[in-house]
Formats: sequence, structure tokens, C-alpha cells
Amino acid sequence: MSVKDVLGRHFSAHRQTDVLSGRVRLGLVVAGVIAVLFAPFAQMVHPFWMDLVTHMFIFALFALSLDFVFGYAGLLSFGHAAMFGAGGYAAALLIQEVTASALLVLPAAVIVGALVAALIGWLSVSARGIYFAMLTLAFAQLFYTIAFNDIPAMLLGVESVTNGDNGLVGITSLTLFGMDTGSLMSYYYLSLGILAGMLTLVTRLANSPFGRVLQAIRENEDRVAFIGYNVDRYKVVAFTISGGMAGLAGGLWVPVNSTATTSMLHWTTSGELIVMTLLGGMGTLWGPIAGAFLVVFLEDTLSSIGNWEIYLGIVYIVIVIFAPRGLSGLFQTVRANPNPKVLLGKVRSALATYRKKVFV
Amino acid sequence: MRMPSESMPSEKRSKRYNRRKFLAGSATLAGVSVAGCLGGGGGDSDSIKVGFVLPFSGTYSFLGESIVNGVKLRLDQQLGGEIDGKTVEYVRQDTGADPATGASITQEFLQSENVDFIVGPVSSAVASAMKPEIASSGSAIWLNANAGNYKLVEDSCTQYHFRTSFNTWQTSAPLASYVNDNIADNVVLSYANYTFGQQSKNLFREEFESTGGTVVDEIGAPLGTSDYSSFLQEIENSGADAVFSFFAGSDAVNYINQFSSFGLNESMTQTGSGFLLSADTLAAQGTSATGMYSLLHYTPTKQTDRNQAFVDAYSEQYDMTPNVYACQGYDSGLAAEMAINEADGTDTDSRVSALAGQELDSPRGYFRFKSETHDPVMDMDIREVVETDDGVQNEVVETLSRVEGPTWGCSL
Amino acid sequence: MVLEGVARTALLGIEMGMTLVLITVGLTLIFGMMDVINFAHGSLYMLGAYFGLAIVSVTGNWWAALLLAPLLVGLLGGMIEYFSIRPLYGRNPLYHILLTFGFAIMLHGLVTEIWGGQVQNIATPAVLEGSVDLVLFSYPLFRLFLLGVSVVVTLALWIAIRRSDFGIVMRASAHDSEMVGALGTDVNRVFTAVFILGAVLAGLAGVLLGTARAVDPGMAASVIIQAFAIVVIGGMGSYRGAVVGAFIVGMLNAFGPMFAPEFTDALLYLLMAAVLLVKPAGLFGNPEAA
Repeated sequence: MSVKDVLGRHFSAHRQTDVLSGRVRLGLVVAGVIAVLFAPFAQMVHPFWMDLVTHMFIFALFALSLDFVFGYAGLLSFGHAAMFGAGGYAAALLIQEVTASALLVLPAAVIVGALVAALIGWLSVSARGIYFAMLTLAFAQLFYTIAFNDIPAMLLGVESVTNGDNGLVGITSLTLFGMDTGSLMSYYYLSLGILAGMLTLVTRLANSPFGRVLQAIRENEDRVAFIGYNVDRYKVVAFTISGGMAGLAGGLWVPVNSTATTSMLHWTTSGELIVMTLLGGMGTLWGPIAGAFLVVFLEDTLSSIGNWEIYLGIVYIVIVIFAPRGLSGLFQTVRANPNPKVLLGKVRSALATYRKKVFV
Repeated sequence: MRMPSESMPSEKRSKRYNRRKFLAGSATLAGVSVAGCLGGGGGDSDSIKVGFVLPFSGTYSFLGESIVNGVKLRLDQQLGGEIDGKTVEYVRQDTGADPATGASITQEFLQSENVDFIVGPVSSAVASAMKPEIASSGSAIWLNANAGNYKLVEDSCTQYHFRTSFNTWQTSAPLASYVNDNIADNVVLSYANYTFGQQSKNLFREEFESTGGTVVDEIGAPLGTSDYSSFLQEIENSGADAVFSFFAGSDAVNYINQFSSFGLNESMTQTGSGFLLSADTLAAQGTSATGMYSLLHYTPTKQTDRNQAFVDAYSEQYDMTPNVYACQGYDSGLAAEMAINEADGTDTDSRVSALAGQELDSPRGYFRFKSETHDPVMDMDIREVVETDDGVQNEVVETLSRVEGPTWGCSL
Repeated sequence: MVLEGVARTALLGIEMGMTLVLITVGLTLIFGMMDVINFAHGSLYMLGAYFGLAIVSVTGNWWAALLLAPLLVGLLGGMIEYFSIRPLYGRNPLYHILLTFGFAIMLHGLVTEIWGGQVQNIATPAVLEGSVDLVLFSYPLFRLFLLGVSVVVTLALWIAIRRSDFGIVMRASAHDSEMVGALGTDVNRVFTAVFILGAVLAGLAGVLLGTARAVDPGMAASVIIQAFAIVVIGGMGSYRGAVVGAFIVGMLNAFGPMFAPEFTDALLYLLMAAVLLVKPAGLFGNPEAA
């Protein structure tokens, strides 16, 4: 019973043929409109809500990057923090030393993230399934160690590059066409815009011939290879694109928080990302976005209650046992059965299934 | 491998599961936040708002809670929750020892909560992230209750920063002449290899060599190392008569316990910055720590009336003896009190003038905010660990009076 | 002088390696048999230390803690497996990551809540204090005891896996659980038993290391990555691999600081990457699984 077989078996069952059906697209447009209107509303009531939602947008973008490579190409990555952090540090250094113009900084973050992903992907692509994941973890931790010990500074002979465990602080906000984007609202719209743009791009990609090949690779790699495609190259390209998006998320994150620290590169960041993706429902693109929103929201609200970690952990456990397809699965179930009685019946049957599986 | 960025290291931490926390939507804080948004809050002339930017989860939660306890002992228990007729309100957010979170929380406290005072953080990395916000905002006084990185003052110091804790020079360099005079003229340095450890050993080294001592070797261990055996081997190989170290938290416990279990304490005297052998680590270090020396600005067993009163009050309120963090919190309370009472006006700048250069009646001993830097001028205790009926404790063997430290070019 | 240093460091490496074995064996067996990536394994280790702390403070007897704490952890592990991992068998193994990650977070919070976040330590029993003179150098007695216990347990387990009936069933299930099920064995019971075994070992490591080292909530996270690295290097699911992998990493941890202390961590990850690139199944792993 190899891991790859199990992974394969579970992915090939019931995926839609076209990414983002018409109904979902409509839903996303509606959500987008709400998001646009939310900002002025928040400005009047409680401006700092915009900050929270901006963080949600950025993590949604990060989760989207993982879902693209994971849900569509089937490449599980435990090391996405490496691209996130690389993009973030690149943005920080650029803003500090060169320019704060968003038109330069953000593309730079994308390129750095893509390069890191290309490197890691190219080195790791020969491994499959869980081994690929472990390789990404190993490389990501290497990046973390490099940043924490400020090895670039050691190599270049300067006093500090990544500034070790303190990180880079006091990073000013981005400027767009000369305008400072430092206010809560402008960051909100900037992140929203970029998220929307990336979602569109990824959808296009996933529906394109390139995307189809990726999905085929996820289903059955060997067959695709037999047909004649260079599977490794597709994988590396997919991983690179994903890395670029993760780097972009990092490049947005740093000016919003005005810091770039080693925690961006730590394996727990990769872990949290996977949680977001799984909670939201992998492979659906919009699911992980919802998952990111949920996790950021939970971590925020629960923190005012004593020991929030206990409750957060319980939420994850309950969701994974009873709602395995995550938020997207929940949503689809509710959609398909709007009758509350039927829903209640579904809940009861879920509990019964649980009882059967455990106590048999 | 641990989560980084701590002046009080290890962690985890973890660490590990930290996220920024915001007020939006939180049930318990909703009332406060709406009040803040609708123009109430700290800028209000009827209340004083204190914001806690501290870790409340993970390995440092105990330190964060200790600081809060200290502040509240002064402001709530002893002052009845009021300063100059105005009620004291609190808001708190968990930094989780993450600089990005700390920066966000600070932003929110300044812009949305309109706090008058910010108390915190525990970690110097978080402090560095907080500083630009506080400096540019100028709407609150920052009572730095634990972050000792001297660079906070060296790089573009801000008048809004008041350290009710210590700086890394004070907890390392002054020990040098004591070591040279009383213990040995040659040392080997061991430290946790991150900012706090590096600063401590560098500052000690500078001072030690200027008094004529020799530093035989330097051995740095990665932050979060749980087994120091190989490093201890190198320390032993150095052949020095004494060791100066910086470790804190669980690193300090592991280091000291292993130092003794390998028998190094028989041939070498261990000395260090106070966090190596402080009230919160001694319980776990036990008799391994006996006979070791450290330097710190607060010792709960110090026999002065002022300290006894503080220890008694704290023990009665919280059912445990205070530690250095609690004292720092308490002094932050004293500072807030003084800033409000002595200020000419209610704006932040007049409160800053009221506080700069002033003395506080601190349990630690003499305390004054140095006018040029707003760092503390205070007594430092050199302690030795001794065995008592209540377990191992620090006993003060010498007190260095009014230790200042350099200004690092800052002149406020 | 140099010889003594090298000899002592070598013993150190062996000792560090053997203690890592206790933690890693459970992880690799659980992974090999059930395809479960148990992120909560570090938490089980941590709970062993905290339970040990609690038992010592209640009974004053360290040996009681040594015996009872691992059993308690095993019980807890069994409950976790029974009530939350079992319903997930047959599902995508990635859900196990989410589940065990959730447990890791929850247990971290629970431990901080119950025992507080400050650093603690289980006091070494008086009879095991002091050092032993080993001709070339002296070595702490407790650490030798630790080494001894680890070696004995590892050997006993090895023999049990090779010889006992349960061991045979276990290895067969690792190879083809469906077949074993078809032959009439309740495979679920085997899985639970293996999980409990892994938990007991982790708990034992927790009590032992909680005495030798500091106990704090961060200890779970600090051990899990090393454990995963060892599992990868040795081969997922391979007992022999866990032992050899732990030994290699133990030596790395012991000798690394002599040459390049900042890079010891980096070396571990490089080694992990190297093994994955050259032989993904690990040194002793089953290549079919790759």
C-alpha cells in the first residue's frame, strides 16, 4: 500500500471537469462586490476590521498558491513558507535600500518567489508524493536556517542582510504611482485587487491545456508520461508559478506589517497554510480562500478567550473528522439540501457513520 | 529547532503557533473597541488607557503574565485603579512573541484604542518592530518592560521610549570587574547564538579585556539547543578558570543542569547574565546551580524594606513570590503614575518631560530614567546561588551602585 | 586529551542517538503501517515529561513516574487513535496531518494551561546522581542509565518484532493490511496496538529526557522536526532504519558543534535532502513505496 497509490486513489474520484463552475463564479462575483463595499463600511464603524480582512486576503493568496500546485498538480509542499519568506525579505530589502514603488517591489517579490520555487522544484521533482513533500520541508528549513543565522551577511562580508533573529523592521508602505498606499483602506483595496487578479489568472491557467495536463498528472502521472509529455517539466513549471504567487503574498505581507522576520520561513507557517487549504477544501480554488479567511478569523476571535490554542485545535479536529471536504464540502452539502430537516438528517448520519467506524 | 526572535529565548515555540490578534469581533473586547472607534478611549480626559503588548501564549506566557501582575499591583491594588482621579483601563493582546504581530497590535492600540501607555514587550525583536510606530505616532508613552536590546536606543532613539527594565550592557559588562577581581582573570564565553546572547558576550568581553582580563575562547550554541554536551566539552577544553554565559529560559535550565552533571562546576566557576540564574529558572535548576554567580537588577530575596514591602504585597495578591518581570511591570505602573501626576498637561509630550530624568521608588533599589536615553540608571546586584530551606535561591553578595552604561550617541 | 574528547563525544553521540530512537520508532512504525503522519508525536513525548512531573510531585517517587507516565501516555495515545484517527483510515493521509496538527496545537495549549508556561525539570533520583569514571573520562551516571534503558528497550522491541506472533502480524500488516484483514485478523486492533506502542515509547523518552533536560511546552515542537528527519533518512516504516537514522543524527548532533555549530541544523536538512534525492525510500526503506 504505497502512499502514492492512496494519494492517487483519493484524488481521482470526483473532481469537476471545469474549474469553478458557473454558479461558483457568480458567487465569487457577489463576494467580491461585498468585499468592495465592506471597506467604506468598516471605515465608519471600526477601521481596524480592514486590517484583519487585508490579512485574510494575503493569506488567501498564499493558500491559493498552494492549492494550485497541490489541488491541481497533486504536488504536496511542506515548504511553501520558503517562497513566502523569500518574496517577503526581497520586498523588505528593496523597500529599505532601493525603492518603495509597488510596481517594482511586487514583481520583484514574484520573481524571487518563482526563482526559489524553481530551484526547489527542480531539485525535488524526481521524488514523488510524500517524499517530495519532505524534500520541500528540508529545503524550506534550510532557508530558515540561512535567514536566522544571516548567512548571506557572512558570505558577502557585510554586517547584516536578513538581520538574523530580529528580522527587518520599520519597512515603509508601498507607493503606487507616487501615491502612498499606507492607509488601511488603500492596502485593503490593493490586496483585494491582487487576490481577485490572481484568482482569475489561476482559473484561466487551470482551465487551459496546461492546467488540464497538470490535472492529468495528478490523476495518473505514468500514463501522462507514456503519452509523451515531459511530466517533470510540467511539475517544475507549476511549482514555479505557485512559488511566484507565494512570493507575491509575502511581498504584500511585509509592508502591511512593516516587518520581515524569520517566522515567515518557519515550518509552522507552511503547516498553517496546509491547514487552511485542507480546511477550505483542496482542489476547489475558492475553498482554500475561504479556509484562509476562517483560520485568520478563528485565530483572531479565539485569542480573547483564555487559552485559545485549545479551542483552535479542537475546531480543526472536529472539522477534519466530520467535514473532511472542508468548507467547500459543507457549502456544497448545504446547497444541495437546503431543507433544514434533511441537513439535520445528514448530521445525524455523519455521527452514525462515525460511531460505526470507531466502534466496529 | 525553535521559534526565534526572543530576548528571553527558546521557545518555541516555540513556538510556533503565533498569529497576530486583532480586536475585531472579539466578544469580550467588542465593547471597548466600539467605544474606541466612536471617539472614546484613552484620549478621553476621564480615563487612562494602558495597552499590554505581551506574549500570553506559549513559553513566554508566564513572563507576560508576571509583567501584567506587577502593573496591576501598583495601579489597581495600591492606587485603587485611579491616577489623578482618572480611571485606569486596560487592553491586552497576545503577541505570541512574533514581531509582525507586535507591530500590528501596536498600530491598533495607537490608532484605534488611543492608549496612553504601551507596556511591553518581552522580546527585543518585537520591540524593534514596535518602535517605528510608536516613534512616529507620538500619542503614547512606551514603557518597555523587558526588551533589553541596546540598539533600541543606539539607532534613532525616540523620546517616547522609557525602559523600565534594563539594557543588555547593564546585565553583562558590570560583572566583568567583579569576575576579574574575585574569581579569575581568564574566562571562556558561552552564549546562545542570537542577538541577546551575542550582545551580552560582546559587551562583557569588551569590559573584561579593558580591565586586563583574558578571554580564552568563545563558544556559541544555537538558540534552543537542548543538549549542550558537545559545547561543554569545548568549554572544558578551553582550560579557563571561569565561564561567563548568556542563556535564558529553558536553554538556561538545560545548560546549567548539564554543566553540573558533567562535573564542570568542580573545576570552573560559572557566571553569567542574571537570566541564566533567575527566580524563574532556579526551581528547575536546583542544586546544579549552587555556587554560581550572576548579575541582575532585581533579586526577590534582597533584604531592603522597600523590596520586602513589595514582595509581601505581591505574594499576598498573587500567591507567589515576584520575579524580575513582575518588578519591571510594577515599575511600569510607577512610571505611568508619575507621568500622569507630574505632567503639566494631558498631552504625551508633557508627560514625557515629566518622566525624563525622574526617579522611581522601585523595589529593585535606586532607579532613575537617564535624561539622555530614557534608559534606567539603577543598582545592579551581583548574586550567588545558595542552598536554603526553601530550595536554591540567589543571595546578593554585592550591589553595584547606580550603574549607567553608555549613551550610544543618543541625546534626548 | 584529544582522544578523551573524541571518545567522550562518541559516547555522547551514541547516547543522543539512542534516546532519539525511542522517539522515532513510534513515528516510523505508525507511518509505515498506517500511512499516518503523526504531528502529535512530539506532544506525546512532551506529555510523558509532564505526566512524569505530576507523578513525582504526587508520589515523590521517580521510579513510579518512570513506570506510570509512559503507560498514561500510551492510554492517551490509544484514545486519540481510537476516537479520531480510526475514523479516518482509508481517507487521504493528508487529513491525518490536519488532525494530528490540531492535536498538537490543542495539547500545547492544554499543557500551558494546566502546568503553566515556565520551565521545569524532573529531579534526578538520588541513586542516579553523580558521575561514573570510565577510564578516559567521567560521564554522568543518569545519562548512562538513559543510554542503558534505551538500548534495552530497543533490543527487546527488535526481538519482539522479529519473533513474537504480534510482531509477525505487525510486519505483515505493514506490508499488506488488506490481506491480513482478509485472513481474519482485526487489522484495526493491530493499528491501535502499534499506535499505543509508539505513544508509550515517546512517553518513556519524555520522562527520561524530562529528567535530563528542561521541561517546557516548547519541547514538542523542538523534537518533531528532528524525528521526521530521522524517519526520512532511515526509511519510513523501517525499525532498523529508525535505529540507524537516529544513530547518525545523534552523532551529527554530538560532533557537529565541534566543527560548525551554526551549521549543525543546516547539515541535518542537507542530509535529509540528500537521502531523499538519492534514495527517497531512505536507507532501509522499502523502495516499492517510493
